[in-house]
Amino acid sequence: MPAEIRLMPTGAVHEGFLAYRGFRYLKLASLLCVLAVVAYWWHSPAGGPNGGTWLGYTLGTVGALLIVWLTWLGRRKRNYASNLGTVRGWLSAHVYLGLSLVTIVTLHTGFHFGWNIHSLSFVLMLLVIASGIYGVVAYARYPSMITENRDQGTREAWLAELDELNEQSLKLADTLDAQVHQVIVRSIDRIRIGGSLRAQLFGPREPVRAAFEQLRQELSETTSFMASQVRPMRTTPSIAPDTSSTVMFLAGQLAGNAQNNENAQKLLDLVARRRDLTGRINRDIRLHAQMQIWLYFHVPLTFALLAALLAHILSVFIYW
Amino acid sequence: MAEQFKIAVIGSGPAGLSAAARAAELGLSHVLLEAEAHLSNTIYRYQKGKYVMAEPSILPLRSPVSFAAGKREQILEKWNQETGGLKVNQRLRSEVTALSGTRGDFTIKIGDGSVINAEHVVLAIGMQGNIRKLGCPGEDAEFVQYQLDDPDEYQDETIIIVGAGDAAIENAIALSDHNKVIIINRRDEFDRAKAANNAAILKAIADGRIQCFYNSGPRTAEDQAERRPRGLMVLNTASGEVHLPCDRVIARLGATPPRKFVESCGVKFPTPDPTSLPAVSGTYESNVPGLHIIGALAGFPLIKQAMNQGYEVVEFILGNNVEPADEPLLRSKFGSLPGFTSVDAALELVQQRVPVLAPLTRLQLREFLLDSEVRTPPHGETIFERNDYSDSFYSIVDGQVEIELAASDHSHVVTLGPSEFFGEMSLISGRRRSATVRAGHACVLVETPRRSMNKLIYSVPAVKRVVDEAFLRRAILANIAPDAPAAAVAELVSSASVLAFKPGETLFREGEPGDCLHLIRKGSVTISRHMDNREVVLAYVPAGQYVGEMALVSNLPRSGTATAAVASETIRIEGAAFKALLARMPEVKERVEERYRSRLARNVSALQQPERGGIIGFLMAQGVGEATDVLLIDESLCVRCDQCEKACTDTHGGVSRLNRQAGPTFENLHVPTSCRHCEHPHCMKDCPPDAIKRAPNGEVFISDSCIGCGNCQRNCPYGVIQMGVESKTKPSLWRWMLFGGREPGVDSHHHPSGTPKKAAKCDMCKGLPGGPACVRACPTGAARRVSPEQFLRVARKE
Repeated sequence: MPAEIRLMPTGAVHEGFLAYRGFRYLKLASLLCVLAVVAYWWHSPAGGPNGGTWLGYTLGTVGALLIVWLTWLGRRKRNYASNLGTVRGWLSAHVYLGLSLVTIVTLHTGFHFGWNIHSLSFVLMLLVIASGIYGVVAYARYPSMITENRDQGTREAWLAELDELNEQSLKLADTLDAQVHQVIVRSIDRIRIGGSLRAQLFGPREPVRAAFEQLRQELSETTSFMASQVRPMRTTPSIAPDTSSTVMFLAGQLAGNAQNNENAQKLLDLVARRRDLTGRINRDIRLHAQMQIWLYFHVPLTFALLAALLAHILSVFIYW
Repeated sequence: MAEQFKIAVIGSGPAGLSAAARAAELGLSHVLLEAEAHLSNTIYRYQKGKYVMAEPSILPLRSPVSFAAGKREQILEKWNQETGGLKVNQRLRSEVTALSGTRGDFTIKIGDGSVINAEHVVLAIGMQGNIRKLGCPGEDAEFVQYQLDDPDEYQDETIIIVGAGDAAIENAIALSDHNKVIIINRRDEFDRAKAANNAAILKAIADGRIQCFYNSGPRTAEDQAERRPRGLMVLNTASGEVHLPCDRVIARLGATPPRKFVESCGVKFPTPDPTSLPAVSGTYESNVPGLHIIGALAGFPLIKQAMNQGYEVVEFILGNNVEPADEPLLRSKFGSLPGFTSVDAALELVQQRVPVLAPLTRLQLREFLLDSEVRTPPHGETIFERNDYSDSFYSIVDGQVEIELAASDHSHVVTLGPSEFFGEMSLISGRRRSATVRAGHACVLVETPRRSMNKLIYSVPAVKRVVDEAFLRRAILANIAPDAPAAAVAELVSSASVLAFKPGETLFREGEPGDCLHLIRKGSVTISRHMDNREVVLAYVPAGQYVGEMALVSNLPRSGTATAAVASETIRIEGAAFKALLARMPEVKERVEERYRSRLARNVSALQQPERGGIIGFLMAQGVGEATDVLLIDESLCVRCDQCEKACTDTHGGVSRLNRQAGPTFENLHVPTSCRHCEHPHCMKDCPPDAIKRAPNGEVFISDSCIGCGNCQRNCPYGVIQMGVESKTKPSLWRWMLFGGREPGVDSHHHPSGTPKKAAKCDMCKGLPGGPACVRACPTGAARRVSPEQFLRVARKE
């Protein structure tokens, strides 16, 4: 029966890089570490363990080769037509073998540290690995959060909607009075999307909340002369609790002139929706930034490590 | 007094133009009638600067008018020049409203009331049909137009758009950026348009960017030449007459298909199917003597073919027997046939030996064989393997083939001889081959591609009947009762009927009595059950399997509702006949009961995890029910690195066929905008050079013969086809890493302007070893290609 045809290899349909092929590379890396520890424990050279013994040289060579190979991932992942394994397999191996370096290279040092190029290489390596560990955690944590925040939308669609909300709010503000219009214009100017690295990682310093607050002020001033006929206010659920009370306060201020009243309410609704949207976009940017930021340390540090490693190897051969 | 001509040519497209030019060249009395104000309206209506290709390149051109691939403007200008040079007697703005008579005495009525008599008529009106006009006084006024080339041409005008279809909506929205736009809708909704266009226009109206008059129609269009704005549109609306001053009226009301007119001339169409075309003889003569049909209306959509026919038809009318332009091609095709003497003799032989081709006219047969291949495989060669995705149709001219029905049992072989055919199962179901076929002794086969076969099935009812019957018999044999004696099968076949279901239509409902079994021959079906006030999808059943046996085996009412996931066809087998078969054949009964038990167990487990039904329902709503292979992204793993898109771009000449971000998401499952390789690809529907093919592994791909017409892009309901220019060179990775510049995997957009665009779609990297680059490049395992058989596993989150 056709339903029983299995042309794809078995294995889960969506299996992450960590679990790749039943944790094949976790097993390999663990084996490597165990071998290194056993050898270190069994080997007791005359002058105590150090990088200059035969085991020290072996561990050092393995470590250096691993580092070069781990760096090669950057080359492999851009070689899109390559048939040499899948990038997922490479990443899986990259993560586990990269972690195994902590054991292998530490044993290579023989626990001799100092203020020199050798220890600098070691520290750089640990920093690269640390940034990589952040990366693994980020890759496990952020994708679902981004999807949840997206809620079926896309950033382009949000930005388009934002533009439109701005336009609509200007039109509505026109029907109220000049001051409200001005506030809206200023609030549009003040919308901050993304921005500097700091702003991307932690959100913009001056959120749209300030503009919302000012608008509320202006509206309450311009409409306070109206009678106090309270109308139930439609509120967007995503408005923060503190503002919902201000919205209710404002609702109390609105009344009388039905047309103005309605427009002012609509305007507040629009601005609230706009705030919600800006919040969402900035959260999307923040989540992306937090998910990707480690690469900006991981890659430059890798090149620094390669340079230090080269210096370490050269100096060992020249001065030892 | 009516004018008298020897030849009247109706329609001035490539075919008609070429015919009139040949008549002019020979000095015959002729007239070329064209409804529009310019020659060759279909090509005239192409967008500006469009590159027109000249496929098939192997076919020589035979026409007094020249034609080579080039820009629309150059081609039209050349044709105008050359027809002028030949003194072609052309009459523009002369729509033919009626045509009657027979050879030697045709009467042609023109829209302006004049009448023309002709001895012979060449009908070359193509398939586009005449554009529907406003249908009110002033419809031909200068400010009224029926086409929009470039919306940016107009600024700060008041423009009235008439119509509620996709073209009207797209024009209105594009123009609304820089103009005041008013749209006139005869009805109160825009629901004939695509969902996206419907939403966009309603939104534009709600925002006040476009003004709309519902339930309104044009009453008059008045040209006030000295006034600003010069146009005045008077509308009939529900609340009375409305006067709208405007600069421009753009009416997008579609076109009337030419069929009605052609039938009114006495020409017969073989079937009511909209794709059916009138049959013509070897000299392009229709069933009306003296009335010749050439070009797209006769089934020849390519420019070069049509122009050749224009030349030939005039020669035929004069009684000259010209060798058709395709004669050398056919000769080389049949050269391999044992005992070949002439093309005519070979055609005769094929028609004699292959009864399914017997009802064809000689011209249809030529065309059919031109698309087909003659194959003489040596004894024992595999023609296709079980599970191959090929979809061509084979007719046996000579010798035998052996069909292995069961995968495990090589002795279970059926032999077919001359006058039989095979391959119809995959042709109809769009699914993998269900058996392996090997060549027998002295085997001569005609292999016909899917499109030509479908064209034949739709235009010759006798062929459809024969193929359908064979399918029915073989499907029942293969799926229900492999060892049943012929008599028992015949009984089932006689009780069976083919039913068609629209997407969302039900085959049967939960609780109904079970009176029949459905063998799905095309499309797919979901089984659902009503639980907690909602439908829970339990299973997805693809073509080639049957549903509805549970109620027949258990004698209980239907335990679930079967709904067509996509447009589907089933073979309905009556319950009584099926039960009789079960009673007679215990081994069949055992198999069916075995299946019943496993389905029962699966349904119970499905009911225990109703959330998984949600995922199947979501996938079906995305049209995945007709997919053979779809890219799915698990967003809980996706780190949004776009490696998949970059890999696609890099491996396909700088044009990505995948948009990761676009497309819907359900829970964490994302369906990106990327080809699903449908069972019956919508893109293949109307490809003039037949450039879209299915490879043996199922990849639907576009070959180099693409002419860039964009039909596939418009026909794809999932928006996965782009028009683009592929670059021949690949950016160097090392150069980019060391010196910067063009980055691999980034769409460059750098190509000389005017380079012809061609259609680009996912080909599942069929040329690359190791499979689709998008999946291989995904660092986290989020991107996976999934076939329908695996949907259930996706749903179970295995």
